[in-house]
Amino acid sequence: MGDRAILRFAHESEEELARILDFYGIRWEYEPRSFPLDWDEQGRVVESFSPDFYLPDFDLYIELTTLKQSLVTRKNRKLRRLRDLYPNVRVKMFYGRDFRNLLVKYDLHPSAAP
Amino acid sequence: MATPEISQVLLTEEQIRVRVRDLAAEIDRDYAGRALLMVTVLKGALYFLADLTRAMEIPLAIDFMAISSYRGGKGPSGAVRLIKDLDEDLTGRHVLLVEDIIDTGLTASYILRALQARDPADLAICTLLDKTARRIAHTLPIRYRGFEVPDLFLVGYGLDYRQFHRNLPYVGVIGDDFLRREPASS
Repeated sequence: MGDRAILRFAHESEEELARILDFYGIRWEYEPRSFPLDWDEQGRVVESFSPDFYLPDFDLYIELTTLKQSLVTRKNRKLRRLRDLYPNVRVKMFYGRDFRNLLVKYDLHPSAAP
Repeated sequence: MATPEISQVLLTEEQIRVRVRDLAAEIDRDYAGRALLMVTVLKGALYFLADLTRAMEIPLAIDFMAISSYRGGKGPSGAVRLIKDLDEDLTGRHVLLVEDIIDTGLTASYILRALQARDPADLAICTLLDKTARRIAHTLPIRYRGFEVPDLFLVGYGLDYRQFHRNLPYVGVIGDDFLRREPASS
């Protein structure tokens, strides 16, 4: 499991998910890998995607998305590109509503939703 | 509907009754000649287990367990733990874990690990509802599923919202508008 004492999460929702995974004994790594998605003519990476979590027990990456539609659209495009380039990589996108409902299920305040 | 927060009925009492009967027949066939132990986790699958087992004909035993719930910053931190253990010994038994719903699969994954450690002959899952949209634990041995359901907040037939609505005879949807308005309890 990641060491939250030395981690700085980008958003409160990521820390909450880390706590949920810890609770259920699921090992996780925070942003362990960046996947190049696009390169310029010199072969330099100009766009990449770093999913928020990797769960080695399930060989699964998780990305939490915001409730803002413009950002969701951009991430969806990145996710499609990632799936095209890395078909063997398993990624799960948690949309804002998904995560909010998950928090409601645990009777937690939805303000932690991304 | 008597409860205004429920925006629609997803599964009627009749749909559930028919599907549960079909599942019971399927399990009867598959486990014929084997002593089956059906295990469930309190409290959500209570109604499903009761209806499912009463529709079955093979000899079977039932047992219950309960686990602590995740409470975020509000409760004691730490790990999930058993707060009621099984009474039955699982060694060499054919065990079917009966769930009301598999969502992220994190709870089922924990329970399976706990059950597997007790050396059952066979371990599988029967879930009434399978919500795959948020599935994290995607390797669960789900052998029987009643309905695949969309990513909605569901209540009734054992499922709750803050411990209420479990006793509804149907599966209903708590509306998004209501969830957005409702403050969390403290």
